[in-house]
Amino acid sequence: MSTRPKTTRTAPSRTRAVGVWLIALLVALVATVQIRSEAEVERSLVGVDATSLAFLIDDLHRANDSLSAEKADLTQRRATLQSGGGGAADQVLTDEAIRLRALEGLIRVHGPGIVMVIDASGLTALDLQDALNNLAAGGAEAIEVNDRRVVTGVPIAETSDGVAVDGVVVVPPWKISVIGDAERLADIADLMSQQLRADRRVRSASYRVDADVVIRSVISEKPFVYAVAAQNR
Amino acid sequence: MSPHGLASIALVALVALATGFVLADQIRAQLLTPSNQVARYQALLRSVQELESTNAGYRSQIAQLRAEIDALESEAAARSATTQSLNNQVADLRAHAGLVAMHGPGIVVVLRNGIAGPGSGGGTGYLVNFQDVQDVVNLLYVQGAEGIAVNGRRLTPLTAFSGSEGQIVIDQGPPLSSPIMVVGVGDRNRMSDALSDQSSLPDIRAREVQFQLRLSFTGSLDISLPAYDSSLQIPNVHPT
Repeated sequence: MSTRPKTTRTAPSRTRAVGVWLIALLVALVATVQIRSEAEVERSLVGVDATSLAFLIDDLHRANDSLSAEKADLTQRRATLQSGGGGAADQVLTDEAIRLRALEGLIRVHGPGIVMVIDASGLTALDLQDALNNLAAGGAEAIEVNDRRVVTGVPIAETSDGVAVDGVVVVPPWKISVIGDAERLADIADLMSQQLRADRRVRSASYRVDADVVIRSVISEKPFVYAVAAQNR
Repeated sequence: MSPHGLASIALVALVALATGFVLADQIRAQLLTPSNQVARYQALLRSVQELESTNAGYRSQIAQLRAEIDALESEAAARSATTQSLNNQVADLRAHAGLVAMHGPGIVVVLRNGIAGPGSGGGTGYLVNFQDVQDVVNLLYVQGAEGIAVNGRRLTPLTAFSGSEGQIVIDQGPPLSSPIMVVGVGDRNRMSDALSDQSSLPDIRAREVQFQLRLSFTGSLDISLPAYDSSLQIPNVHPT
């Protein structure tokens, strides 16, 4: 008699306890999942926020416009080769050789652009690399620093005497001549000048737009020592 | 009421409290990220994906067109010594411009994102950015690299780096993000020595310590670089 009531009281109590523990477990699980997923989302979106995406879209639009122009140019070149004989091929190859020599910095060139002058003390090779990269990203098609031609691949190094371009020290003030879309380059140069003027090391930074920038310096062709080029593209 | 009953009530109260906190947090999070903001973000993301797809299509067509032009030029060169001589000159110029695939001894440098610092004070210093890639590339060029590719994108004399936060844009290619692999063909001992020098790449070294950003490299006897597959237009440049 004495055991039966005890048993009936214990059973609902245990069930309730188990229920409470299950709820607690579920809440803990939900909270953990929630906190972790929020952290994950936050992490994956760092660096790809809406503003960054807008910049990427702008970059991709400009890139696709350039690619479309290249495609049109190549289609035209292919048509010339298909329609013409040896003469047409010679003309296409001659034009291509001149274009490649210009973009590799092997010949003197001219065209619209800007000339920027930076007078400073203590600027490093990294500063010059940043400046040149900004201009390249702004559509520079040919660049010269203090009569030294610069293309990507020309070593810009820090030496005990200052910054050297292709082994030759370029003493400030740096005169950077750039050929390209003058309007776009002017926007970049304007921003760069403002930033440079805020730098304590910089005495002055200015630029002018020029309808015909002349770049006379050239790079001497260097044969490959280690690299082996494939026969065909 | 028994102690057991009191404990149960206390536990239920605690659970209710925790549920309340979680619900409040959830509601707050939703208020901060309204659904139209999410929709706008998704629309931007879709735009990026569509533009990337167009970009890939153009680059594939450009590679195909260049191969066809190559074949036509070779055909013409087989018929004339003058054309053959011109073709050889152009082939050499194209190789130096990055328009031809190449191989040789070299080095593979890998840059990986680090770990975000506590709070927002650290900013995005733990992410590999375009300046890091630019610095590594310049270091390799200073050490005599003859050709470089970044995540399979060949660099050319006109190459420029841009991007924001952890996104790296090279020329007209799609945005790249960590891990970034910079492959350089050239004197691998010189390049290895420069990368081992702790005084080189000061910004990356500092962030290796602060954010566990990772830079590693290995030399190789023979590595390959693809040909450049984008635009090399210089419409404003004219020979004097």
